[in-house]
Amino acid sequence: MSQPEMDAQSDAEIPSEPHVVAPEEHTGPSYLTVTKTIASWAFTLDHKRIGVMYLIGVLFMFLLGGVFALLLRTELFSPLALITPLFADTAEAQADLYNKWFTTHGAIMVFLVIIPGVPAALGNFVLPLLLGAKDVAFPRLNLGSFYLWVIGAIFFIYVLFSGGLDTGWTFYTPYSAESGTAVIPALVGVFILGFSSIFTGLNFIVTIHKMRPRGMTWFKMPLFLWATYSTAVMQVLATPVLGITLLLLILERTLGIGIFDPRNGGDPVLFQHFFWFYSHPAVYIMIVPPMGIVSELIAVHSHKRIFGYTYIAFSSVAIAIFSFLVWGHHMFISGQSTTMNIIFSGITFSVGIPSAIKVFNWIATMYKGAISLNTAMLYGLSFIFLFTIGGLTGLFCAVLSIDTHIHDTYFVVAHFHYVMMGSGLIAFIGGLHHWWPKITGKMFSEFLGRIACGLVFIGFNLTFIPQFVMGSLGMPRRYYTYADKFLGYHQLSTIGSYIMAVGFFLIAYYLIQSLASGKKAPRNPWGGNSLEWHTTSPPPLLNFHDVPDATDPYDFEHLEYNPSTGNYDTQELARASE
Amino acid sequence: MNPLVAILAQSKPSFWLPAPVSNFAGPVDWDFYFVYWVSIFFLVLITALLAIFMWKYRAPKGAHAQSHNDHHLLLEVVWTGIPLILSLMMFWYGYRGYVAMQTPPADGISIVAEAQKWAWNFSYASNGANVPGMSDDFNAVRAKVRSGEFTSEQAAAEEDKILEKAGLHVPMGVPIDITVMAADVLHSFYIPAFRVKKDCVPGRTGKLWFIANEAGIYDLFCAEYCGQGHSWMHTKVVVHETVEEFEKWLEIAGSYDETLPFDENGKIVWKRRGCISCHSIDGTKKVGPSWKGLFGSMRKFISIGTPGELIADEAYIEDSIRFPMNRVADGYPPQMPVVKLTDKEILWVTEYIKSLGQNSGGTENPRKEN
Repeated sequence: MSQPEMDAQSDAEIPSEPHVVAPEEHTGPSYLTVTKTIASWAFTLDHKRIGVMYLIGVLFMFLLGGVFALLLRTELFSPLALITPLFADTAEAQADLYNKWFTTHGAIMVFLVIIPGVPAALGNFVLPLLLGAKDVAFPRLNLGSFYLWVIGAIFFIYVLFSGGLDTGWTFYTPYSAESGTAVIPALVGVFILGFSSIFTGLNFIVTIHKMRPRGMTWFKMPLFLWATYSTAVMQVLATPVLGITLLLLILERTLGIGIFDPRNGGDPVLFQHFFWFYSHPAVYIMIVPPMGIVSELIAVHSHKRIFGYTYIAFSSVAIAIFSFLVWGHHMFISGQSTTMNIIFSGITFSVGIPSAIKVFNWIATMYKGAISLNTAMLYGLSFIFLFTIGGLTGLFCAVLSIDTHIHDTYFVVAHFHYVMMGSGLIAFIGGLHHWWPKITGKMFSEFLGRIACGLVFIGFNLTFIPQFVMGSLGMPRRYYTYADKFLGYHQLSTIGSYIMAVGFFLIAYYLIQSLASGKKAPRNPWGGNSLEWHTTSPPPLLNFHDVPDATDPYDFEHLEYNPSTGNYDTQELARASE
Repeated sequence: MNPLVAILAQSKPSFWLPAPVSNFAGPVDWDFYFVYWVSIFFLVLITALLAIFMWKYRAPKGAHAQSHNDHHLLLEVVWTGIPLILSLMMFWYGYRGYVAMQTPPADGISIVAEAQKWAWNFSYASNGANVPGMSDDFNAVRAKVRSGEFTSEQAAAEEDKILEKAGLHVPMGVPIDITVMAADVLHSFYIPAFRVKKDCVPGRTGKLWFIANEAGIYDLFCAEYCGQGHSWMHTKVVVHETVEEFEKWLEIAGSYDETLPFDENGKIVWKRRGCISCHSIDGTKKVGPSWKGLFGSMRKFISIGTPGELIADEAYIEDSIRFPMNRVADGYPPQMPVVKLTDKEILWVTEYIKSLGQNSGGTENPRKEN
């Protein structure tokens, strides 16, 4: 029997719509209103509240990291000292300040925003709902993860107020062993954040293994779950390596143990191996969950069954596996052996294939769909375009001969911003819009949403396309001042970053406005069929009024739009109301 | 040469890449444009499909999809297979180009490029000339151009003047072997016009090579973040038309200012001729004995298998430089090469060693202390 036939048979065994009674008919407090004290939030074990607290924290940190991005883009509008003189007197102090800005921007965005953004913030909220579960497997551990994140964030804020950090987010030795800035508090902060990430990963692995509802086999899971599962495995396996590396670096600074510092007989390249053994998988920790979100966005808003389900699912797993085997491509010019460079280059291309498979399957999903160009869908489409650029420019970096030229230039900066921000963060924002009605119970302004998405999209491309050009022309990265020939590119880039900032502030405006005066969200505003759309918006404390059975998350045929409520009802309900 | 490479190798900067002026620029640019056009093809294809689908299949709320097809094996094979084949081609081109970069010919001119916070220093093996990068001077010129004090012609003239005794100088058409080193933290040696880059890692040496194709002056950047002065740490590469012109420059750059005191010139010799890599001046034990307090002390040595001892006087030092294997200092490996110093250089070095303290004994010669 072929696979589709088997699927069809098992489909028949599972009722595609388990609810006889519409969840709307249940009234009662939502998770937001069930208790109202501060303590009920601070000590909550509810994954939704923890998700919301993560969301607030991550968005605050995104604002902070974004402010540093704008500061450094503004400084680079001119090769002369432009705004650093407002904060520092001597040319040396001004250069130091710029170095702290780009370090802080990078470290906050990577460790406090993008890595926890999708899995811990959106994942926490959505994952148990997608499973029809009451909560994650270990609710207390989940709260613990959140407080570890808070402690890590506090360490970073302490670093900001105690002289900053100027090592770059990569902490390369021997510079990080001798830098006079607050390296140790930052390392401790990242170490703690690492445990937050490990605990979340562990929690999600167990939850997905043990708490799937009746009828949800692995290949009936929504693709977002495949993505978070692959990510969780990477978090659990890779993050400890970062932890021990940072501890060794702390020992290097305090005791001079001579592992990474050549003055004590250590090897700086060894640090790079250790660091990237985590930080390359970390890139996929940042991009695979967004890919999962996009799989949901494209299918739901095209109202069409996802194309190539198994290929998308396995490509997430493949990316997770390959991600552990490519770290050496960060060190093509570090002096590691030629043989190693060749092997790492070869394996690196293998990551491109599953990424390409995903992109083509998403596009095929849209073919002959019924596409609603909602704000969330526009982010999904932006993602595909930006991720295509991010992925294709990755090819340049993987080709050994080209990388020799573009390594450590703005080309690489633009490449990883297309992947981490243009793809990762854009999908996060898209997911935020997609699930916003479910999280808050409010609808936001679609009109402003589309305008803001357009601003972010245009601003983003204007910021980073000039960086590709100046990078391949030879502009090295992490430069406080630059040769005059790069002036025009830097100015375009800065203007782009301002446009993007306007877009983000607009998003903040209408989302906050929706909390105050947004229309009440229906149960299923977009016509999704995964389980989170089968409970009220916002859900009750224990998520579901009746324990649900698995649905086919990509079967949208039986849903009928009800213009009077803005809800997508099941056909049975639609008939009943007629 | 592949005709396409020849076309691309016309040495003008393009929109994407700086002027290709080394033997690697043509092949690297070819690889670049191969990946570039493949990328453009896929970007246009994907963007067009996105735009067409989102336009053609946009639908009001509540509309149902026109198709339920959710898999197609042949399509999956095609869009897995084609990227796979293209990736393998890209890998192959990159591999080929990279291996060429890692395989220097044997007859190159050797230059050591040493990076430190935040300066470059270049030593030429043929005559030991030691030439600084003078980043500060180039930065000063840049500042004067920006403040309007210099026109671009004045700036060029000023840079030419600085470059008489500074920067990396190489002849055209000859393989150049660069050994990169770092004194403190990571740096990276990067000449965009040549498409070469190598990290300078403290405690290790790195190698790169190239043949410059066109006379001119090009940028040399530090590409690996190294702290405060990272963006100021740049200098120029001067490509001389002929080997003769280069050698003429090198001779001047490698010459001494004979009006200086002997010991000061001796210090320059110590740096230029590489004594520095094995002999410290502060008592630190390196491959060879330190020069601190060496002069006048009693030296223990092994002379062709027989131990002996002598006081280190002028004659002893000259003999040790000219015939290093005659007497190998006790406790040190017999590794000193024959460095052909001139009589004057030997005189200056001897004076320099004298200036580093005499008869202070120390661990080198315990008997003297008694």
